[in-house]
Amino acid sequence: MEGPISPQFVADSIAKHQSKVNIGAHAIFLGQIRADEKEDGFVTGIEYSAYEEMAEQAFHAIREDAFSKFDLTCMHIYHSLGLVPTGEVSLFVFVSSAHRRAAFEASEYIVDEIKTKVPIFGKELVGPAGAYVWKENN
Amino acid sequence: MGINILYFGMLAEISGQANEIWTINDGLSVGDLKKLILEKYPAMGEKKFKVAVNQQIADDQTFVSTQSEVALLPPFAGG
Repeated sequence: MEGPISPQFVADSIAKHQSKVNIGAHAIFLGQIRADEKEDGFVTGIEYSAYEEMAEQAFHAIREDAFSKFDLTCMHIYHSLGLVPTGEVSLFVFVSSAHRRAAFEASEYIVDEIKTKVPIFGKELVGPAGAYVWKENN
Repeated sequence: MGINILYFGMLAEISGQANEIWTINDGLSVGDLKKLILEKYPAMGEKKFKVAVNQQIADDQTFVSTQSEVALLPPFAGG
């Protein structure tokens, strides 16, 4: 989705699951933009771009994989494109299950998979003068 | 025949464009294509990148045909 993921969007997503009464546990992971210090100053935001068709396929594969590995009822993944300022949310992973263990484990697995397998690129904007560095996941 | 090569992130900055049509011979491998790309854009030699052929990460032995979509992918930064 374009720009930051709002707290309201997260709240609305939770509300939409209240009618699904076979769920006993939700695990939510939110990735937030950190003000890392770089040579030219502090990070003020990240501008995300993606190889969108491949990213969609990668998200699809991660979903299929997570459903087969963990006993999940429901799974939603949202990632920002475009500019996300420091302090705002760029990744929202929302998994639901009957019991907590599957939800905890699946959320960690999904986030790790996203970081290594989805072709999303990030330009970290640094300081007020227009400097930037390209981000690289560890 | 031309293949479409897509550049992303810092690689698009180096090439100065998001995509480019290259004329190649059928039966070229990803390894061969990388050599040609680095000849044209030597600055990419200092960058880490992966190559995707038809939206799948490909190794140097993968063959590229004139119908392939080839993408040069710098390190991922999602999350």
